[in-house]
Amino acid sequence: MSEPNVLLATQGVAKSYGPVIALRSVDMTVRSGEIHALLGANGAGKSTLVKILAGVQSADAGVVAVDGRAVHFRTPADAIDAGIATVFQDPALIPDLSVAQNLRLSRIDMAHFREWLAWFDLAQLDLGAMVRELPLETLRIVDLARAVARNPHVLLLDELTAALTADQAERVFALLREWKGQGKAAVLITHRLAEVMHICDQATILRDGRNVAELATAEVTEHQLVEAMLGASIAPTGNAEHSRAERRFGEVALEVRSLSARHFVHDVSFAVRAGEILGLVALEGQGQDRLFDLLSGNRQPTAGEILVGGQPRHFSSPYDAVRQGVVLVPGDRLIALLPNQSVQHNLATPLFGKLTSWWRIPRDERPRVNRAVEQLSIDTRAASQVRRLSGGNQQKVVLGRWLVSGFRTLLCFDPTRGIDIQTKREIYSLLRELAAQGAAIVLYTSELAEIGLVCDRVLIMHGGRIVDEQDAARATESSLLTAAHGLEAPA
Amino acid sequence: MTNALAATRTHPALRALLRNSWVLGVWLLLGALLLWYTTLIPVFGPFQITSITKNSLPLVYLAIGQAIIVIAGGIDLSLGALLLLSNVIAARFMEGQPVGVVAAIGLALIVGIALLNALTGYIINLSGVPDIVVTLATSYIWSGLALWILPSPGGGTAPEMRWLFTGSPSGIGGSYWPPLLMMLIPGLLVALWARTSRPGLTLYATGSNRTAAQLAGLNVRRAKILAYAIGGAMAALAGLAMVAITGTGDPRFAVGASATLNSVAAVVLGGIALTGGVGNVFGVVATGVTLIMLNPILIAMGVNSNNAQVIQGVLIAGVMMVGGLSAVLRERRS
Repeated sequence: MSEPNVLLATQGVAKSYGPVIALRSVDMTVRSGEIHALLGANGAGKSTLVKILAGVQSADAGVVAVDGRAVHFRTPADAIDAGIATVFQDPALIPDLSVAQNLRLSRIDMAHFREWLAWFDLAQLDLGAMVRELPLETLRIVDLARAVARNPHVLLLDELTAALTADQAERVFALLREWKGQGKAAVLITHRLAEVMHICDQATILRDGRNVAELATAEVTEHQLVEAMLGASIAPTGNAEHSRAERRFGEVALEVRSLSARHFVHDVSFAVRAGEILGLVALEGQGQDRLFDLLSGNRQPTAGEILVGGQPRHFSSPYDAVRQGVVLVPGDRLIALLPNQSVQHNLATPLFGKLTSWWRIPRDERPRVNRAVEQLSIDTRAASQVRRLSGGNQQKVVLGRWLVSGFRTLLCFDPTRGIDIQTKREIYSLLRELAAQGAAIVLYTSELAEIGLVCDRVLIMHGGRIVDEQDAARATESSLLTAAHGLEAPA
Repeated sequence: MTNALAATRTHPALRALLRNSWVLGVWLLLGALLLWYTTLIPVFGPFQITSITKNSLPLVYLAIGQAIIVIAGGIDLSLGALLLLSNVIAARFMEGQPVGVVAAIGLALIVGIALLNALTGYIINLSGVPDIVVTLATSYIWSGLALWILPSPGGGTAPEMRWLFTGSPSGIGGSYWPPLLMMLIPGLLVALWARTSRPGLTLYATGSNRTAAQLAGLNVRRAKILAYAIGGAMAALAGLAMVAITGTGDPRFAVGASATLNSVAAVVLGGIALTGGVGNVFGVVATGVTLIMLNPILIAMGVNSNNAQVIQGVLIAGVMMVGGLSAVLRERRS
């Protein structure tokens, strides 16, 4: 850290959330006149590091130094004062205030801000407009212009270009070039490797909470970056446990044609058959959550159709989808559960809608619920309140309620996130068992290794589109991650 | 995209009007009620204006304080109890004192109770216990303290202070401009301060999106403490107005409790979202007066005072439903 031109450096930065270790030890050095990429697969610790550098959270251990001096940020305001301005993934503008009021709050020099807006052809922007009335891409630019107008030493841009058009992104890059020409620095967190090659000078790669490599982008290829993110584990993930050749699929259970949701999902078509597990792989924020919202009736598509058993259906709410046998295991378990109720009560919840007699619970509720508890081997020691169960057992309850009520198509959104390995295995074999009994399953997962273990076929989503389809038995973490970055497979 | 922006651009004055259409609406509602009232009673003159204005003062002050706290994302159930506390301290210690001492006690009460409620805000920050729980607890403490200071109604204040809030040294009749100014000046000042000053905007930011406010480098904890301090100061002012109007102190729990509920009603009617971050303080001045005016109107109409509360409730529900429906329609159009 004694180098004179180092603007921002971390040494041994670590952070845990309870038992979950997000960052083990990260050393990163950002020099003046440098655009520095921060790369890593999902869960590598990028967002935690950004939060620490931006003062949103403090590190458990390690040193952050700005301009060679060790700093300790207790609030985002501290980081800003130290010369680190961050543009977060979600706009940090107050929706109920006008743009001008937001700038006043941040003590931004208006003339300076307007100069930067002009850079994006937004000099005409009506600063009296309410933030909530402006389109997302405009807000991203306003957020960026605000950060730049603070005149920081280091700009921290978290997935800024994801919401921008190609033209606007190009202007951001031009701004960054100008920026580094002034001897300042920027850290770019992005999933778009093409951008990294295009604009960045250096790339620090995180894996499992450690910095595993620092590469000069001029000397490597995109595929080398992907390999560095993955590490040595580039082996086929398929296993011999399930002999796929024997599998027979039934009728098409769920089909979507040209499904679109404005800004998020574009022209998605696929079909899943009874007995099939269809995997979905995507980097964060590629429209997968919106796609699941559409499939489960949480939101309505702007175009395209959903067919259940060959019939076009319109889901105006999850109630409609459930009645068609399309059920969801959401990414956040807690939103699906009644946390203060018992396991039995939670499992029986879907039955409440089916009560034919309003004052009596159907006689077969108890056996059905007990069967589900047994089939899932739910640990019932804390059965009186679901919130006291472990994450894995909670996830089993979410799955179990659909076993109790019955379904035809199961949508699973990252069902094993944050779950111990034993329970993960149980969930995998349960999914396989359900498929063998004739269920159709769509499984989005952020753990690429699961694809080979569980799925038959895998779709890869990027920028709201299905960009690739692979046979799950032959897919490797490398081939999946390459496609998920929107890259062609290496020749 | 530039076209879309140009299309939504309207004249600043028109836009200010549109944005504050709810405030305009409640002032028009108040105007309509006043007009109606003039036709209901045989004589309408300065006496009635004075009477309505001075009787509204405690609720208007309390509602302004509540509005600031709700805008910052909180809610304060102890404001009525703080009103009691200010009321009884003033009545007990101001009686028979020269005007200088009375003024000093009044100022000390405003500052002291502001600090007291700032402490409540600090405790909410520190403990993470919801605002509604902490302020419910403190409301009992302050109410109990008020009874301890003045066990039964009594005490008094200087004629000068009665004149300030009622327009007459004896509290009867008098000119209407002192109470009217005492109502409009704090209302306008607080509304303007909240909308234009940096600390005021911080309150809106905190209530609108706490995380975003924090990420933008704002001190959201200080904002909450500031909001509670302002709420406390307004409650103290309300207590002083109460002594001036009635001429005595009244420590009864029910007075404070109903004042708290009325302040929340005025805030909701005034177009301030209970979820925080939205609304204009000047609207609650009108709705505070409206809630007080309902009583004389209903009496003039010959409605049994037991039924008056039903009508008050129907009015609140009706106005809120208009607001809710117009929001739904606006969403559907866009």
